[in-house]
Amino acid sequence: MYELFFRKFNEKISLTEEEETLVKQYLTPKKLRKKQYLLQEGDICKSIAFVEKGALRAYSVDEKGNEHIIQFGLEGWLISDLYSFLSNEPATYNIDAIEDAELVLISKSAHEELLRKLPKYETFTRLNITGAYLAMQKRLTSIISSTLEERYMGFINLYPNIVQRVPQHMIASYMGLTPETLSRVRQKMIRK
Amino acid sequence: MQTKQTIAIIGANGNMGSAIAKAIAKGPYRLLLKGNDQSALEALVQGIKSRNASADVEAAVCTTEASWEADIIILAIPFEAEKAIAAQIKEVANQKIVISIANPLNGNYNGLVTPPDTSAAEELQKLLPGSKVIKAFNTTFAADFSTPVIDGKQVDAFIAGNEEEALQTVSEIVATAGFHPIVAGDLTVSRTLENMQLLLIQLGMKYNYNWLAGWKILHN
Repeated sequence: MYELFFRKFNEKISLTEEEETLVKQYLTPKKLRKKQYLLQEGDICKSIAFVEKGALRAYSVDEKGNEHIIQFGLEGWLISDLYSFLSNEPATYNIDAIEDAELVLISKSAHEELLRKLPKYETFTRLNITGAYLAMQKRLTSIISSTLEERYMGFINLYPNIVQRVPQHMIASYMGLTPETLSRVRQKMIRK
Repeated sequence: MQTKQTIAIIGANGNMGSAIAKAIAKGPYRLLLKGNDQSALEALVQGIKSRNASADVEAAVCTTEASWEADIIILAIPFEAEKAIAAQIKEVANQKIVISIANPLNGNYNGLVTPPDTSAAEELQKLLPGSKVIKAFNTTFAADFSTPVIDGKQVDAFIAGNEEEALQTVSEIVATAGFHPIVAGDLTVSRTLENMQLLLIQLGMKYNYNWLAGWKILHN
């Protein structure tokens, strides 16, 4: 239930058995079926989700009803509307499951208590937020200055095997392209 | 809040479990109903959907799985069954709200089987130390759910627990069911609430209230 969560945690900073027991007390195990929401726009994001199994996506919806995928959450990833979680402002993202999923949730109150009780959790959080910041900078830079081929390669490197799991239109949405444009980019890369 | 909360009702075949399921299916919830009679459960699901096509409700086959999927768990089971069910959900109910509706009545309906310094809810909390146990729906009869307004007055429904946010969430569920929620205090207040229902049952039998009766606090 928490296997991957603790493996990833220990990769960042290693926990003793007692510390693992302490952290476990604050975790909420949760299953989500495909197409179910973890969070809907307008609600306050009250927990961070770690993906043990399955796949989720975070996306915003524009005025015309088009979905723009911000992030995918595959096994080992954290997913949330971090802005809403940290600021208590209503979420601007929707998060739903694109495959049946097993999650480990850390609620806001659990998060705050763990920060107080366990310095290693604070380190874990700092590393996660730093990682999220670096990823965001990379994504931003790539959107404004890379070629489509480079961006697609970057995407494949970031999410290995995702092409087999996620429909093309979602990948196009993540890249900010129409499915037709994405298809042309892929054809061009195959020919090379 | 528009993100649907998933509520597992364990013991949904019983009078109370099915009454709760019917009453809260109209709310912004997804219901997973678990009971020991699968065909009766399916009939209950169909009944709810025929009255309310948009109700998000389904029969579950496994207590542990349903509780794992749920955000909130309602144990609509007798006090005697709490220990066995708690063992099945302990791990997956960690950090979740678990609602205790049980009244630990003795076989003669003239007393409680729990000692005076505890309650069914507090005993459940001991069995589920990682969960947020909340006492609710124990002072309302099953028939009250279809008639939450008696003699022109909306029946009060008392709630007890230790977590502010959890009490708020359960108050919303109680209001969805049609009752007037009153947060009575921390989980030790469950002792009083369970005794209140003992008294109501005794009075109901003595004066023939026909199981349609409830508590109402009169105040200015």
